[in-house]
Amino acid sequence: METRPDIPSGTLYMLILKTLARRGALHGYGITQHIRQSSNDVLQVDEGSLYPALQRMLIRGWVRDEWKISENNRRARYYSLTPEGRKQLAREVRQFDHVMSAISRVIQEV
Amino acid sequence: MRQLLRRLNFFFRRGRFERDLEEELRYHVDRLAEEQADQGASRRQFGSVARVREESRRMWTTTVGEQLAQDIRYGVRALAANPLFTAMAILSLALGIGANTAIYSFLDGILLRDLPVARPAELVVLNWRAADHPKVIHRLSGSQYRDGKHGVASPNYPYAFYQDLQKAQNSLSALFAYAPAWELNIVTRYRADVAEGELVSGGFFRGLGVVPAAGRLILDEDDRPGAPPVAVLSYKYWRSRYPAGVDAVGQSIRINHVPVTVVGVAPPGFFGVNPSTSPAVYLPLRAAPVFSPKPADDEQSKFVARDSYWVEMMGRLSPGVSLEQAQVELAGRFQQYVKSTISSPKEKENLPALWLQRGAGGLDSLRRQYSEPLYILMAMVGLILALACANIANLLLARATARRREMAIRLSLGASRGRVIGQLLTESVMLSLAGAALGLLVALWGIRSITWLLSNGQEDFTLHASLSWPVLAFAFALALATGVLFGLAPALRATGVDLTSGLKETKAGSSGRQARHFGLGQALLTAQVAVSLVLVVAAGLFVRTLSNLHSVDLGFNRENILIFYMNARQSGYEGPALAKVYGDLLDRFARVPGVRGASLSKSPLAIGSWNSTEVTIPGAPPVEGRRDTCVEPVDASFLATLQIPMLGGRDFDQHDMQSPRVAIVSEEFVKKFFPKENPLGRRIGIGGNKTADIEIVGISRTTRYNSIKETETPPVVYVPYTGDLDDLGRSGVFFELRTAGDPFLALNTVRQIVRQQDASIAISYTNTLAAQIDLTIGKERTFAQLCTCFAVLALIIACVGLYGTISYTVARRTSEIGIRMALGAERRRILWMVLREMFSIAGVGLAIGLGAAWGATRFVESFLFGLKHNDPAVLAFSVVVLAGAALAAGYAPARRASRVDPMAALRHE
Repeated sequence: METRPDIPSGTLYMLILKTLARRGALHGYGITQHIRQSSNDVLQVDEGSLYPALQRMLIRGWVRDEWKISENNRRARYYSLTPEGRKQLAREVRQFDHVMSAISRVIQEV
Repeated sequence: MRQLLRRLNFFFRRGRFERDLEEELRYHVDRLAEEQADQGASRRQFGSVARVREESRRMWTTTVGEQLAQDIRYGVRALAANPLFTAMAILSLALGIGANTAIYSFLDGILLRDLPVARPAELVVLNWRAADHPKVIHRLSGSQYRDGKHGVASPNYPYAFYQDLQKAQNSLSALFAYAPAWELNIVTRYRADVAEGELVSGGFFRGLGVVPAAGRLILDEDDRPGAPPVAVLSYKYWRSRYPAGVDAVGQSIRINHVPVTVVGVAPPGFFGVNPSTSPAVYLPLRAAPVFSPKPADDEQSKFVARDSYWVEMMGRLSPGVSLEQAQVELAGRFQQYVKSTISSPKEKENLPALWLQRGAGGLDSLRRQYSEPLYILMAMVGLILALACANIANLLLARATARRREMAIRLSLGASRGRVIGQLLTESVMLSLAGAALGLLVALWGIRSITWLLSNGQEDFTLHASLSWPVLAFAFALALATGVLFGLAPALRATGVDLTSGLKETKAGSSGRQARHFGLGQALLTAQVAVSLVLVVAAGLFVRTLSNLHSVDLGFNRENILIFYMNARQSGYEGPALAKVYGDLLDRFARVPGVRGASLSKSPLAIGSWNSTEVTIPGAPPVEGRRDTCVEPVDASFLATLQIPMLGGRDFDQHDMQSPRVAIVSEEFVKKFFPKENPLGRRIGIGGNKTADIEIVGISRTTRYNSIKETETPPVVYVPYTGDLDDLGRSGVFFELRTAGDPFLALNTVRQIVRQQDASIAISYTNTLAAQIDLTIGKERTFAQLCTCFAVLALIIACVGLYGTISYTVARRTSEIGIRMALGAERRRILWMVLREMFSIAGVGLAIGLGAAWGATRFVESFLFGLKHNDPAVLAFSVVVLAGAALAAGYAPARRASRVDPMAALRHE
């Protein structure tokens, strides 16, 4: 747990978008939980990056926010994907695959 | 675009955003705390809440507010780096915007402002037009003016026609008549003075929809023969002539020696229907004969005579009736009326035709008087604004060219193209804003000075303009558009550059692209020089006109003469009593210390009055112009007081005033009517077909009679004032007092003497003769002053443009010049090389400007005196001035170029 790797730069948006695509509306805490659990505790999203990123995504129109009552009966801000966000997710995944396959080709060559 | 909207939304709902974020973060921290019992650990895990908050907020704000602030900071620095250009650009823009706003504000005040009455848009003015003065009109008192292509026009109608229209059902829901009452002698409990009055019909105030400030206004029952005389005072007159708190309503005053009851006060700001006048008192139209100095029968006849045109009319269109429909209906009625008054076949031709004009702005005498000079001024300031805009354009073009490298660096360092363009636009907008702010001040100051110039010191000047905001907005928008356009075009081009070539490009930069930029700049400069030349020529023409006017020999000595007007007839003096009271006053004035001579005449010379009649000369053949002989009733000391030399015969003496059948004629009169004979002792008659019983006893030198500007001086006959006291009773007289020092020093004593003589006699139009004569050339003086200002302005702006552009060229070519010098070019050659470029621009500009000036000054020919519009001296002088200014503007940068140190310049690379 001590040497948790950083989330590769540029993939944070993709991870958030994917999480929201899979789980529907989620609050910030829920997003970090989901990313951590589904990565078997490897990826830990830093709150200091998460909230600015969410704001930026609001500006870009990829997500929308909504106040709802959470599972523990408190008001929480839920984020969900917009159609624009769904398109962006597809774009980011495509680009990520492209880069990853290139990287793995380079690594396997050695 | 949507991003921008979302950002704006954020901006306006900041508070909510903060609360949301706060709550969201607290929720997160709490959930972490729940998860891990240890509070401290979770805090550490979360990191700094404050930092997260800050980061999140910045996502929204950086790109809007901070970017702008950054652009502005950078813009200020960039502009401050070139303080001279920045100052000059802002200054020329401010002067351009300010001058335009001021002039257009006047146009607005004159041409566009509505009367302060109810629903002014419904008002119409009744005029008639004819090709020439219609013979069917036997008497016309009022105004008849030339109306361009239509011939003559006039607003005056017979009273009988007004009654016809009033009786008939017509397309007007209200109709009212009015006529000027000219100068009235008004004596209140507090003082006596002379003021303008207006005769109005009973429906006048009702028709205009005006509510009184006190009492009531004039009604139909006041406007009938035999009704007790009543008056309505203007608000201004009431406030200025009555002590504060004193109610004027119900008081009795004397107007032209007739007791009148004041029934009410008009509302503040109401000036009747003519924006160029402001009557002090309104009287019922039918009461005109009571106040008139003319015989009452004569005045009464005006109300019944069907061929005497004197009342003016306005009406209000009935709801749903258009101007055209009303015109058709009223013109038909007028045609019928006119036909019924034809008394001979000759009168059938050239009948006047009724013509309706919109009346929302009131009568248009003010417009006719001032619109032409204002249009000329407007054209001039328009050119100045164009010059200023050209300067801004030039400045921005030159800067953009010089900054290509900077742009390339910024782009290569990752600045987005939009960001760089935004930066350049910010600078342009800042320049325009600063120019507009300063322009507002210039406009306010300009309005005040132009009011002062136009009023010529007249106390009761009625033309007042207030700042026209739409005009200011327009001028500002124009400046902004120029800034954006000429800032954006080079910005787009500069940011579209291929980075590597942009970076490689050295300061010497002689690439084709730059040459093209400079081509546009050169064209702008050439245009500036041309426009400046036109303005300088105009200024030269007006200044020479003014100096010609000042050097005119009037034929008499205008210095140190006090003049004032009086009409004792209005205080009840008639016939011999009138002659006696004037004689007594003259005696007492002449004895005032410091007064060297006192005289009176029907009007002073050269101040714009005209008094012509026909002379009868027995035995002489009819000569062209005999109808235009001017007759001037004077007292015995008039010629001596004005120092008009006698050329033969004798001057008048006191005896002539007793038996007034004598005359002194002017040299011009002799030339015209007695070219070969001695006129002394001959007898003439004054007025058509009169017996020739007036003996010519003297010949005086010719003087200017009507105005300084008259090109042909009319023949003048001086006669004793006692000859026609009825006529003198109608017109009043001017006194002339020659003084040893400042003429106004005698004024207090004069007032005392008049008061002692009769407290109900008022004096007015007090002035010095020299100042009064100057008033007649006020338009020329105003023009000369304003044009000189504008020309200097244009010169400065053009020089700034030249200086700026040449400086930039020199700066860009520093290394080229360095190489040339390193290769052995002499300093003189470098100096010449730079100056040659400047001269080629100026030369082309001057050639174009000369042609433009030749054509454009044709339009101001009617304002010139003693020279032609293409006066060669003025043209030559203007070219020299402009070439000199261009040389001065180009010399400093050229000299700097010749001082370039070759080593420093080359190392600069």
